[in-house]
Amino acid sequence: MSFLACRKSFGIYINSIYNRRTSFLFSSGSPISHTTTETPSGPIRFSHSVSENHMSPSRSPINRHGSHQIPLPSTPSVSEKPISTSGSPIFRREFSGFCSRAIPSSKNPCQFHQNPSILTPFQYFCTEAAVQHSTADGLTVEGIVTSNWPILDETESDWKSHAAAIAQSIHLIKKRLKWKKLVVRLDLLSMQLNKPDIWDDPVHAGKISREHGSLMGKMKAVRAFERELLEHIDMINLAREENDPEMESESLKALLRMRRNSKEKELQAMLSGEQDSCSCYIEVQAGAGGTESMDWAAMVMQMYKMWAQRRGYKVTVVDEMSGEIAGIKRATIKVDGEYAFGYAKAEVGVHSDSDLRIERFRAGGAGGQHVNTTESAVRIVHIPTGISATCQNERSQHQNKASAMAVLQSRVDQLEMARQAQMNAQHTQSLTDITWGSQIRSYVLHPYRMVKDLRTSYEVSDPDSVLEGDLDGFILSYLSASLDKDEDGR
Amino acid sequence: MKLNFTRVCCPSNFSTFIKPSLCTNLHRPLCSSSLSSSHTSLKPQIPLFLRPPMHSATVSDLQKWHDWAKCLASSVGTTFLDSDNGPDSSLLCRELKWLVEDTIEDHSVLSQMSIENGKRSVRLRAGVEDLYNMWKQRIEERKPFQYIVGCEHWRDLVLSVQEGVLIPRPETELIVDLVADVVSENEDLREGLWADLGTGSGALAVGIGRILGSRGMVIATDLNPIALSVAAFNLQRYGLQDIIELRQGSWFEPLKDVEGNIAGIVSNPPYIPSDNISGLQAEVCRHEPKLALDGGLTGMDYLFHLCNGAASMLKPGGLFIFETNGEQQCKCLIKYLESDLRGSFCNVDIVSDFAGIQRFLIGFRQQQT
Repeated sequence: MSFLACRKSFGIYINSIYNRRTSFLFSSGSPISHTTTETPSGPIRFSHSVSENHMSPSRSPINRHGSHQIPLPSTPSVSEKPISTSGSPIFRREFSGFCSRAIPSSKNPCQFHQNPSILTPFQYFCTEAAVQHSTADGLTVEGIVTSNWPILDETESDWKSHAAAIAQSIHLIKKRLKWKKLVVRLDLLSMQLNKPDIWDDPVHAGKISREHGSLMGKMKAVRAFERELLEHIDMINLAREENDPEMESESLKALLRMRRNSKEKELQAMLSGEQDSCSCYIEVQAGAGGTESMDWAAMVMQMYKMWAQRRGYKVTVVDEMSGEIAGIKRATIKVDGEYAFGYAKAEVGVHSDSDLRIERFRAGGAGGQHVNTTESAVRIVHIPTGISATCQNERSQHQNKASAMAVLQSRVDQLEMARQAQMNAQHTQSLTDITWGSQIRSYVLHPYRMVKDLRTSYEVSDPDSVLEGDLDGFILSYLSASLDKDEDGR
Repeated sequence: MKLNFTRVCCPSNFSTFIKPSLCTNLHRPLCSSSLSSSHTSLKPQIPLFLRPPMHSATVSDLQKWHDWAKCLASSVGTTFLDSDNGPDSSLLCRELKWLVEDTIEDHSVLSQMSIENGKRSVRLRAGVEDLYNMWKQRIEERKPFQYIVGCEHWRDLVLSVQEGVLIPRPETELIVDLVADVVSENEDLREGLWADLGTGSGALAVGIGRILGSRGMVIATDLNPIALSVAAFNLQRYGLQDIIELRQGSWFEPLKDVEGNIAGIVSNPPYIPSDNISGLQAEVCRHEPKLALDGGLTGMDYLFHLCNGAASMLKPGGLFIFETNGEQQCKCLIKYLESDLRGSFCNVDIVSDFAGIQRFLIGFRQQQT
């Protein structure tokens, strides 16, 4: 059981008047590292909490100018906030068993003994890792990747191009599966399973063999794919030698099929975590911040509902507590469907929006027609970080604002880069460790319109579509970035 | 100024009501046809930075003037600030820098001024004698800096201004942002007819005209012929003569032909209560036109008038944005809309300026059911 508390990072934002921020609380019924789980069917749940202070999310174009509005009196109080972590275990127990699990990880250990791919004459667990397939003339998948054959369009009937594309996919898939670690882990599991006394503790043995089976399945799938590629290459070479155009064209077609198939396999490899195929819970939670924070919480919840529906998942509201005037204090939905967890895990973290405040610098008096001044300095504050920039040298307020914005942007970018570097350094096996407690996305509705993922820099200029659930771009870019940048996962 | 009746890209849905009106304009001497640049008595002043560099002075003479001017600015200290919230020395020194920028043709001279040999001659857009006078007027008469240089930088525009025309305020820039936001999501309004009432220098009309682009149309009205001649200069400078039409008259008076067809109305009407005018800072009360400032006893005479007019002039779904004196006026207007004009508008809201003052009243005309 791992409950991750995000309140620490939350505290940074507590006193920012204009900030509207949402953070995910994430907990998993069965944690990523499978050392504590007894049953493989624990529910996965997310929670998502909204800071207590923020500007109205404003559906009308006018209210979008939240940053111009008078600050609302804030009543930040940590104790008033519902503590999501304490609520989570209750839900977990209530709903444990609801979770569907698609990974065929619960095989009977006996099945492994019948496994046809085991090459040794004895029933002996091994990883098959040492096996390096190659074609008749010694070409390996690695060899294809390193020879950098040009990859042409699918429509070009060039076997080398197809083979290169497939080999590259295999390369990426291995990276995503963390191949090297996979091999090491499999060796370790094999060693344990080969101990004669392993079944003295049947529970432990069952767990070990389940994991072994699951990892073995992944590895074999990749190996089989590799072998298929090399066999087709052999066939093409053979067909040429024997001058059999029909056979050559058959093999070429087969390569093309493989090439198309490999894209799907890449995606699957991205969601290769132990629980990625599970259904999950998503919880959105508003802090003690009054109506506006609850209003924003409702919008975020709506965003996830619509996202789930777009993906064809079944959405069930399992818990909802409405705000007194508008919005929700908290809500939990259950998202049923293949890989719901795998996708949704990318959303864990802090979401923030309207995080800029623009103010007239050295403002005073009644302003407007009362005053004639050439002073039109503007200060812009990036609320989550407190970074600000002021410009007073330009001759119009508009230009001062633009200059201040540029300065602020570079300062925030700089900080963000430092933060990213720090996060990369701390990067561990678990995705949730990376995202935990950190701001993952900002939603800016004014003075410009943008939703930006701070982890990947993926951004769109249309917040409305994002709030309507168009999240896949963010999710996929994050998943691929976090997996593919991994140095040498093979 | 070129007039609009030759407008080429007029969308067909406008031509039905605009074109006839433009034709009638030809026969109405008081309307826009009287505002062409051929109207010699109202030739607008050319801003300093646009004047030809016909003058010259040695670097040392210029330096001498500059030292004198700086000294004068410094001597002000916080006197103006303390007496009526006017500019302090640091602000005046920055204005002096801008005055030099607008005056000198070759800006590279600026950086060399102190090290260059004094005999070298510099080409200027105003004589050194004029410069002495200008700065005297600025400090001694408290003439607004924008009237001295004949321009105001507003948004990304440099607008010509002169005495008799209100200098556009930074707060008012926000109206253009508000319009931009609304039309970005509403094609119907973006391609509709807009009106800027009491346009003054034409700031709002030019700002909005540039946002609407070639498919939009703005009519800018003003009672004051000086304002209209300045506005004509400005919109021509930004090449908007095909998009913006100027009409002389009081508020809605020149818009009778488009009643009920306007997509958006914006205005920065006079809103200062009459009694407050004399207490304003010297730049404003001594130099800017009362016509553009004095809003009657409560300052709300014209705001009420605008609300009343908007209720019938806007088309259903049309937008209005009015600048006000602040929270009190905004709230009072909202009450008025909810009582006397109940049912006319929807989504009425108050928007604050960057100083946090509730500056703008904004709303949409109720859709007909």
